[in-house]
Amino acid sequence: MIHLELTHIHKTFGTSVAVDDFNLTVEQGEFISFLGPSGCGKTTTLRMIAGFELPTSGTIKLNDNDLTFISPNKRNVGMVFQSYALFPNMTVAQNVGYGMRIAKKQKSEIASRVTDMLSLIHMEKFTARYPYQLSGGQQQRVALARALAISPEILLLDEPLSALDAKIRFELRQEIRRIQQQLGITTIYVTHDQEEALSLSDRIVVMSQGKIEQIGNPFEIYNFPKTRFVANFVGSLNTAEVEVIDPQKGMLDMNGAQLETAGGLEGKSKGDKVMIAIRPERFNFVSEEKKENVLEGTVENITFLGSVVRVQMSIGGSSFNMDTFNRPSLILPKIGEPAQVTCSQKAVLVLTD
Amino acid sequence: MNGKRSNIFAIFWGMAALLYFFVPLYGTFDFSLRMERGVLGFKAYELVFADPRFWQGFRYSFTMAIITIVISVSIFVPTVYWMYLKIPKARPIMDVITILPFIIPGIVLVFGLIRTFSRPPFQLTLRSWTTDILMVAGYIIISMPYMFRAIDVGMRSIDVRTLTEAAQSLGSSWFEVLKDIIIPNLRLAILGGALISFATVMGELILADFLVRPALGPYMVRIGLTKAYEPAALAIISYAMTWFSLGLLQFFSGRSERQKQFVIEE
Repeated sequence: MIHLELTHIHKTFGTSVAVDDFNLTVEQGEFISFLGPSGCGKTTTLRMIAGFELPTSGTIKLNDNDLTFISPNKRNVGMVFQSYALFPNMTVAQNVGYGMRIAKKQKSEIASRVTDMLSLIHMEKFTARYPYQLSGGQQQRVALARALAISPEILLLDEPLSALDAKIRFELRQEIRRIQQQLGITTIYVTHDQEEALSLSDRIVVMSQGKIEQIGNPFEIYNFPKTRFVANFVGSLNTAEVEVIDPQKGMLDMNGAQLETAGGLEGKSKGDKVMIAIRPERFNFVSEEKKENVLEGTVENITFLGSVVRVQMSIGGSSFNMDTFNRPSLILPKIGEPAQVTCSQKAVLVLTD
Repeated sequence: MNGKRSNIFAIFWGMAALLYFFVPLYGTFDFSLRMERGVLGFKAYELVFADPRFWQGFRYSFTMAIITIVISVSIFVPTVYWMYLKIPKARPIMDVITILPFIIPGIVLVFGLIRTFSRPPFQLTLRSWTTDILMVAGYIIISMPYMFRAIDVGMRSIDVRTLTEAAQSLGSSWFEVLKDIIIPNLRLAILGGALISFATVMGELILADFLVRPALGPYMVRIGLTKAYEPAALAIISYAMTWFSLGLLQFFSGRSERQKQFVIEE
């Protein structure tokens, strides 16, 4: 069932286009992430859903009701901000119960809901604390409980973990997903952190320069990026321009090195130039029986990244990164030595734009 | 070595400044105690407090100060809030406008008010209560630089936009945001502006003198023309009121800071 629908949303600030023809339908209970670099329009889109910005054109519907020009305080949309935005003059309990107090609920009902929400975020013992008596992670948990206390139709999170350190960020990320699944609440999550988006989301909307580049589940976004931007932004990637030799067989030429791809050459002719992308982890050093997509190059650098070792190689005049799991039995070529690497046909992605 | 020398200089100039400020004050205080020949006592203070015109002036100025503070806060809190939220680029313009009472002499303000509002259609100077309206308007202008700056500093210390949006997303109207979130978080700033405005209004002379109202300022000047010891006592009383206001401000801001130092780590 469609819960939230954004149709042809367009937003300009003066002459600058912030969001351009944004279309999205969100199912009830879905967790959607808007992923993109700074200035790509993800926060502006979220703020339009919250009602803090008005679209220049387009419509926003929630449960088939047009929300486009409804004021933010009448939308029943819960929002969590990057800077927590807890009210400094109120205790944790007062913060969490504020929305219900505004809705003029009974005191007993507010107290019960506050207890439920604080138990949901495991902060039952912090009711009387003020925000300045809490750490960043605790404050963001309270902000989440406050947004959920009003039983919103939809939960909006605007880079909620950006201000936290790595350990707390990881813990809170899991907690957000647990609470979202427990409550079954439709959630829109804005982030520039691909790891967050990939680990949390049912679907990811990758945005660039106000436009949607690709919508898909994390598996699709990572493994089958449709555009060069998505391929580059999500995960690390090796890209190279190649020449089409045989579009039917998927044969490509990269400065003399022959490559094969499993698809993506529809409509291409012999001699066309296309851009290909290969994930670093899709490469392997050549074993004797391997025959397809063998590339020869020279090892330029080797970097240990803990569980992974990254080998940088020069192949056909381009620099390629290759990731392999670190294990005690791992044998690596030395820097400056020639080496052969290979990848499957499916690993060679042809980018459309 | 250099550090030691600069410390000595700092102490020297600090002491010099304190002496420059406190010696005349001590002189005034000492003089105010010498009304009775050969005895140090509070006779001048007793006479001041026994004078019904002092209490009339005190009551009048006190009432004017309270009304001025209430109206100033009602005007400036929503205005500065709105400016921060909707037109933050207007802040430099507001800075210049609110500093005008420091640039334009008080006498110019008084003559402007009298010339504009003592003739038809207003004729506010015909009755005492309408003149009081004019007095309050003048006091609001005079205390504007202090009130605006106090509230401005308060607004800068909180994230006005995000707090407003957070409250709105929870269902708050504009009025509820102001009442529940903004004003409680500006309490100290409002108190600061109010106390400085209070001290300004209590000592104001020109406006009350030209509009012929029984304020404390003109009373102090009149006493100064005919008496010797009572004006010194009045000067000390006036200082005491100002310092009491500043002391209150210091107490409340200190308490707030002490509370904030209690931070719990996760």
